[in-house]
Amino acid sequence: MITYKSQRAAYPYFVIALLLFALQVLMGIWLAMNYSFTLPQSLVDIFPFSTARAFHTNLLVLWMLLGFMGGTYFMVPEESKSELFSTKLAYIQLILLVGTGVAALIGFLFGWTQGRPLLEIPFALDLLVVAGALIFLFNVAMTLIKARNWTMIQGTLLGGLTMLALLYLFGIPFYKNLSVDWYYWWWVIHLWVEGAWELVTGAIIAWILMQITGVPRATVEKWLYVEIGLFLFTGIAGTGHHYYWIGAPRYWLWIGGIFSALEPVPIIFMVYDTFRHVRERQEKIVNPLVWILVVGCSIYHMVGAGVWGFIHTLPQINYYTHGSQVTVSHGHLAFFGAYALLNFTIFYYAFPRLKGIDKFNNTLGKWGFWVTSISMFFLGLAFGVAGVIQSYLERVLGLGFMTAQAQMQLWFQIAIWSGVIFFVGVVIIIYDLLSLKPAKAE
Amino acid sequence: MSSKTAKLIFYLGTLSSAILFLILTWDTHRQIETLTNADKLSAEVVSGKKVFQKYNCNDCHTILGFGGYYAPDLTKVYRRRGGEYIRQVLQQPEVVLAASFRKMPQQNLSAEEVEKLVAFFEWVDDIDNLNWPPQDSKPRSSSSLRRLVGGSNVSPGAALFKENNCFDCHQIGGVGGTAGPALDTIGNKSTDEQIRAYISDPLVVNPYAQMPSFKSLPEADLRAISEFLSHQQGEAQ
Repeated sequence: MITYKSQRAAYPYFVIALLLFALQVLMGIWLAMNYSFTLPQSLVDIFPFSTARAFHTNLLVLWMLLGFMGGTYFMVPEESKSELFSTKLAYIQLILLVGTGVAALIGFLFGWTQGRPLLEIPFALDLLVVAGALIFLFNVAMTLIKARNWTMIQGTLLGGLTMLALLYLFGIPFYKNLSVDWYYWWWVIHLWVEGAWELVTGAIIAWILMQITGVPRATVEKWLYVEIGLFLFTGIAGTGHHYYWIGAPRYWLWIGGIFSALEPVPIIFMVYDTFRHVRERQEKIVNPLVWILVVGCSIYHMVGAGVWGFIHTLPQINYYTHGSQVTVSHGHLAFFGAYALLNFTIFYYAFPRLKGIDKFNNTLGKWGFWVTSISMFFLGLAFGVAGVIQSYLERVLGLGFMTAQAQMQLWFQIAIWSGVIFFVGVVIIIYDLLSLKPAKAE
Repeated sequence: MSSKTAKLIFYLGTLSSAILFLILTWDTHRQIETLTNADKLSAEVVSGKKVFQKYNCNDCHTILGFGGYYAPDLTKVYRRRGGEYIRQVLQQPEVVLAASFRKMPQQNLSAEEVEKLVAFFEWVDDIDNLNWPPQDSKPRSSSSLRRLVGGSNVSPGAALFKENNCFDCHQIGGVGGTAGPALDTIGNKSTDEQIRAYISDPLVVNPYAQMPSFKSLPEADLRAISEFLSHQQGEAQ
């Protein structure tokens, strides 16, 4: 049951996000196979690893952002107590962004790229992305302005989304100096995932928690202030942990080391906060799966981003693990724990309501959650072990890159199988969400 | 905690971190010119970076540790492999990496693009990035080379053979690349002097040779390497 008709605009965002997610995972399995098997030169010449990786990472960014945007369109009417400014704009924006995404993927196949990891899409398409982001911000801001019903949660959400859009601009120009290039590349990547996206997460989770627990707004908002304050305090200067080995001044070892050692603090706080709201709930649990996802998201966020990030963030360790499979392990666990599970939470909270179901049958959904969570953990472990082997053989002993890679093959094969099982979990979730049914009456 | 304190934590936390970060960004800009030798960023180096981006090299290779983890890091590739190997592998990856279980695409680079890339890697190699990565770090590799020469009965020729990256293309005792022939029994076929002449300028001996010329090596080094090779007379099977 939705309160405002325009919340329906979120639905197509969610559906497309889910399909892109499936495609991202398939591409991931293909990448893992590239690691394990020798592919014929003729295939490598037309569809190299680099192109597949560009697919994998750009699909990641696109589906997650579509999930956030859909989540925003779902949440803002209820928070501001008014219809969206324009659902038509929301659909135009969706078509524009998805069209740009598809054009970018096709372009990659033909070598149309800016050639910078994660920011591969060419300048012309960047402009379309900016246009899409502007439409989105305009639409949300106009809704809030017209509604005149300001809340702190909306402020955090809009702040996060604006920050997200502004930071993207630093990724657009061509930088002559490679070191300066990477310096600002991290303004997009790091300040997104450890800044802007955390604000979006904080706001959406706070809002869902408030809805399902019935904890008073004043309490939720108070703790949200503390949480995002800590996130930004550690996250902004914590960008320094990417500046250790790029040709930047030596003091970044100190700044990056100290601030990023503190980065788990806000995450632990978030877990604590979630548990407290769950304990102090005023409402009955209607859909256990949504609760499992909220709690699971905060715990996995802590493991993937907090613990795994902390493990190799100190310069003394990072000197050996930087740019190895350890990074791959951290990247997968952190993105899944923090942002994929956040999107699942949004989907499982919004889908039943969009379909007019009060209490849904969550058997399949639970399977989906556990299958994806556990297989992703094995994937992270496999990359992690491979990363430790690589750090020791290549970086400590000084053996050749390929000599070290040869010793990591077993773990790449485990990664393939984990990926296949993960894909099964994703298919379960997509099927379940698209065909959601009411729970059988007890 | 009152909500006032909560807000204070938010504003203080965010602002202090942001201000610190912006000040350090300003200072980094001041220093990075020197640390990266920005004065040597010639037009050729910059267009080399453009070539690097055009072919999306960075989604397989890391550079400064960032990018794809599929292929070797390129930060110090100029030091590790030398310009000649870089040229060879860029022009004919299918030949140089024929025996490798991981392949590099043949992207049909023009000779000009290859030279620009080499200039780019040469510039990147000089960035003062606190000796990362460890396996290519100057203080570390020179000490390991000293250990190799001084601490064992390895001949200076063997050390020079390794130092000049001959192992990239040639195998001895099952170690090394396969772009060129294995050299375990070279001493049975060629004399010291023949080997020296070949290394110095392969094209004089064999007009179809793919091996680069090593004319630029000091004469003493050439002699040491060819002497070492002439002793490779492993039992021919």
